[in-house]
Amino acid sequence: MRGFFAITRVTLRQLLGGKRLALFGVLALMPPVVMWFSSANLPENDVSDAFNEAPIAIVFLIVLPVVALVLGAGSLGDERRDGTLSFLLLRPLPRTLVAGAKLFSAWLATTGIVGTSAGLGAAVVGVRAGDWAFVGPVLLGVAVAALAYCAAFMLLGYFSARAVLIGLVYVFIWENGISAASASLANVSLWRIGVSAYVGLAPGPISDIDEILGSVAPGAGGAIAKAVVIAALVIAATGALLRRRDLT
Amino acid sequence: MTAGPAFASGATIEIEDVSKWFGQKVAVSDLSCSFGPGLTGLLGPNGAGKTTLLRMMCGLLRPSDGSVRVLGVDPRRDPSVYRRLALVPEEDAVYGILTAREYLAFAADLTGVSRQRVDEAIAQVDLAAAADRPISGYSKGMRQRAKVAAALVTRPEVLILDEPLNGTDPVQRAHLIALFRGLASEGKTVIVSSHVLSEVERMADRVLAMVDGRLAAAGDVAAIRRAMADIPYLVRVEVAEPRRIASALLAEEVVGSVRLSGAQLHVETTDLAALGEILPRLAAAAGARLSGFEPEDESLESVFRYLVRRR
Repeated sequence: MRGFFAITRVTLRQLLGGKRLALFGVLALMPPVVMWFSSANLPENDVSDAFNEAPIAIVFLIVLPVVALVLGAGSLGDERRDGTLSFLLLRPLPRTLVAGAKLFSAWLATTGIVGTSAGLGAAVVGVRAGDWAFVGPVLLGVAVAALAYCAAFMLLGYFSARAVLIGLVYVFIWENGISAASASLANVSLWRIGVSAYVGLAPGPISDIDEILGSVAPGAGGAIAKAVVIAALVIAATGALLRRRDLT
Repeated sequence: MTAGPAFASGATIEIEDVSKWFGQKVAVSDLSCSFGPGLTGLLGPNGAGKTTLLRMMCGLLRPSDGSVRVLGVDPRRDPSVYRRLALVPEEDAVYGILTAREYLAFAADLTGVSRQRVDEAIAQVDLAAAADRPISGYSKGMRQRAKVAAALVTRPEVLILDEPLNGTDPVQRAHLIALFRGLASEGKTVIVSSHVLSEVERMADRVLAMVDGRLAAAGDVAAIRRAMADIPYLVRVEVAEPRRIASALLAEEVVGSVRLSGAQLHVETTDLAALGEILPRLAAAAGARLSGFEPEDESLESVFRYLVRRR
């Protein structure tokens, strides 16, 4: 595991260095700020409903996909671009361990940033209405969706130097557009995995979100299982690619 | 393995009938050779296929045909060989955000060797004064030394260096050459690629020369030098009365052929220095003004092409 954690340490420094962290910080402030102002004059009973509208949508449809895209695609893509991938591959380590460490790093960074953002949004409910029961579920939802998104975008980043552009098209055309418009496509939507985990654990019925989940059943267990399967498949596929493909 | 100057005794790396092509482009063509303990220079002009061959040896590229074995195993199938094999790549493959000390510690962690080796490796490349500065601020020469140190930290039995002297100043170069020779004298297999003959000549006992993806020559440096001694050079001469000078030149022993092109002569000779003495004398005798004398074809690439044609 020494190699795994060494890759994780260096990857986290790569991913969160420079101006990236500042930009993500600004993006991450959106949900708690929106929540703070939108709940300012609401009665206590309506504060949690307000959280389940705009702030949750901003977290799962904008902040999470964008942060996961940049960090997930960068985790392996940056190594390819900088020519440092050979430094990692010329080591007595299984390729799946390299892929796993890269995904773990991207997931940790994404969950840290977006989890803070979503957690602060949920904390506003606690401050305004004394209900802190949304913090845990939203953190879990973010962590689950971040795993699925980072896995998909890591693979994309390995293949394409234009991963961020392709990923943005995917996020805004497919995830936020086509799959949101059709209930039958809901099962292949990554953000719904996170939202289903959140809805499965959050207190009370959340009718608006239930509707957009479509055919996806709310539930943390199923969501975690889906995300873990996606991550495992991506790690296996990336490991095989790192083993078989030429590194020119 | 076949015997001959391309094959080393006690081989640690064996290349057998290896070819590599990228689409329509053939980078390495049916090449067989081996490397053993000691310092071997891999010489060739840019684009000769040296880097492709080195990357196949390290398992970063899969041969399109043939086989590569390092320390008895195929590096693409058995990553454990990387405990004993290290590559210093040509490109600037370094982590700019890390200091040299962190970079070497990273290499040690990934390879599973003790971090106590870090200081020793830094001292070996004479980088102690800058070891705690981020590599992004390093000069090209310092980056090269950091890469070499990162390879040395694992104490490899086989060390492959792709153009390691690029960007280094003469002092750094001398230091690195001494270091490579020292490692070779300890019995390690050290392979250094270069496109500069004089560089290889200073450090390698054995040389393999490549051009166009093929082995052009192999042997000790003296043998390579001897092979290059009778290479014909092409010289462009600008002179008044070119026809008269051309016929006079053809009578000279050192001149192989003369071609007239407008007011210019293209002269093939095996002895540049002798031609340099003969030409002014002939021009003076003919009362013709000699206005230009320039070797056309003196690049290392042409030398290698000549060697390939001779094989």
